[in-house]
Amino acid sequence: MRIVIAEDSVILREGLAQLLAVRGHDVLAAVVDAPALLEAVTSKQPDVAIVDIRLPPGHTDEGLRAAIQLRREMPGVGVLIFSQYVETAFVAELLAGGSDGVGYLLKERVVRLDEFIDALHRVAAGGTALDPEVVTQLFGRSRHRDQLAELTPRERAVLGLMAQGRTNTAIAATLRVGERGVEKHVTNIFTKFDLAPSEADHRRVLAVLRYLQS
Amino acid sequence: MCRRSATVENGRMVVKVMSVAPRPVLARRSWTGPVYLALVLPLDVLTALLLLVAGLASTVLQLTPLGGWLLALVLRAASGLGGRRRALAARLLNEHVPAPPPPAASTGLFGWRRAVLTDPASWRALAYALVKLPVAIVSLALGVGCYVCGVVLLTYFPVQEHRPDHWRAILVRCGVGLLLLLLASWTLRSVLTGERLLIRTLLGPNLARQRLAHLQETRDRAVINADATLRRIERDLHDGAQARLIGVGMHLTMVGELIAAEAPPEQLRAAVDTAQDALTAAVAELRDLVRGIHPPVLDRGLDAALATVAAGSAIPVAVRAELPRRPSPAVESIVYFSACELLTNANRHSGARGGTVQVILRDDVLRLRVRDDGHGGAQLRPGGGLAGLAERVRVVDGRLMIDSPAGGPTTVIVEIPCPRTS
Repeated sequence: MRIVIAEDSVILREGLAQLLAVRGHDVLAAVVDAPALLEAVTSKQPDVAIVDIRLPPGHTDEGLRAAIQLRREMPGVGVLIFSQYVETAFVAELLAGGSDGVGYLLKERVVRLDEFIDALHRVAAGGTALDPEVVTQLFGRSRHRDQLAELTPRERAVLGLMAQGRTNTAIAATLRVGERGVEKHVTNIFTKFDLAPSEADHRRVLAVLRYLQS
Repeated sequence: MCRRSATVENGRMVVKVMSVAPRPVLARRSWTGPVYLALVLPLDVLTALLLLVAGLASTVLQLTPLGGWLLALVLRAASGLGGRRRALAARLLNEHVPAPPPPAASTGLFGWRRAVLTDPASWRALAYALVKLPVAIVSLALGVGCYVCGVVLLTYFPVQEHRPDHWRAILVRCGVGLLLLLLASWTLRSVLTGERLLIRTLLGPNLARQRLAHLQETRDRAVINADATLRRIERDLHDGAQARLIGVGMHLTMVGELIAAEAPPEQLRAAVDTAQDALTAAVAELRDLVRGIHPPVLDRGLDAALATVAAGSAIPVAVRAELPRRPSPAVESIVYFSACELLTNANRHSGARGGTVQVILRDDVLRLRVRDDGHGGAQLRPGGGLAGLAERVRVVDGRLMIDSPAGGPTTVIVEIPCPRTS
């Protein structure tokens, strides 16, 4: 993958770049602030940009603003928000423009490098990668608590992984069940939520997220 | 030789100039008193008559809409004249009374009238003008009269043309004159004390109100400070220890990658070293942060905590503590952090070669004195470290005094009331 990183902490910026390089990925630029990020993405056209939310000069949500702008202006570039905390308001803002090619992961997920790079691949390919913590918060805030309570524990687990942006194959591998079993659970969930079943993975993520956020 | 010292009291900076020159034979205050009394009597007569007539007219006119307007003008004039009177007292009596808060902000003419009519300070200024007339007459009669009568009676015998017939009458007159002159300075002082009291109570800000405003302001300040502190701690944790720990995780991941790739041991060793260094830095950062919130050594007392701070100072610092009892934890904490900041200043900016820290609890006041032999010139600048310190001290009704002439030495004193808790 061709990657651009925007992260103001020198430790994390260099650590991340090294890890990605070890796995054979191309870190085209590692920048410190939002204007540099926009410039680097425009000139290098990467597959995916990894963006910290808090960037100089204000250290508030400069990274998020830049990410939203990137999604709008360069839809071909996936954007992975890389943050030390999960803020549902930020997630909602990020997903408002759709869930294609968008990700939100806590920084410590890097430690599981395989999963992190898998998430990056998904986002680069136009899919979704949401942190389990993000999904937990979406569940907790959802107004559809009654419907959520109707799900069996297994269905809840499948829903959680689905909301994170995982494919059926990945869900099956994580839960150690057959793909057919996963498909059955997914159909049940859509029936209980009264949603039209959809085939494509990324459309189904959007449907689930819209449902949880509505 | 003059020495300047700045004091922060009630939010205003008062610069006191302590004169160390020999006193003049005829002290200024010995003639300003009578001058003041003689000067204000005609002013008082005019003011009282003017306001009385206008006030009566406005009372009569209350039947018409004009009355309210005239009364508002009278009140406004009274408080304006009160201001002049405060200035005069400051000049001649050295009695500095702060102005009361202005009437509430208002829009439009009617708003102005309502604000003036409901302003307690203006009414008190009017009361002052009316009460002052009889008081001024009595004051002048007593304060200056004693001198005049004394001199007249004492000089009766040699100067007067019609000498009294009997020597005993002469003696009595002289005796009374002498007595009056002896009493005169005491009478003048008493009369002037009365004048000062009147100005303070009727022309100054209402004390309870002043206290309330002070409390409101310091409360707001305390809330803002607490919020800023929490934000700073959040920022420090987010950018410091938390980021470093994630960094440690990244280094360990790198170690894992190297093992998987069967990298040479020295490369592995280097990666582990980096992870260990990052972890050590994270722990050190957390320790500093914890100490910044509440230093554990403070639990053992202010003296122990200050000794630790002094031990960590680059310039040698002697600590002296006289604490017959333990101050409240909040006061201990404020004094501790004040001492830390003042010593940091001494280390960084003063070029000092040594210093002293003294903390004494006496008469229910805790007094911290930090002194260094540097080049001086320390002062309160808005937004500066010392101004921030003065603000924090003010929240607990304390005050901060700086004496830092150019060329040094610098002495900063922090005084905090420290009443015994029952």
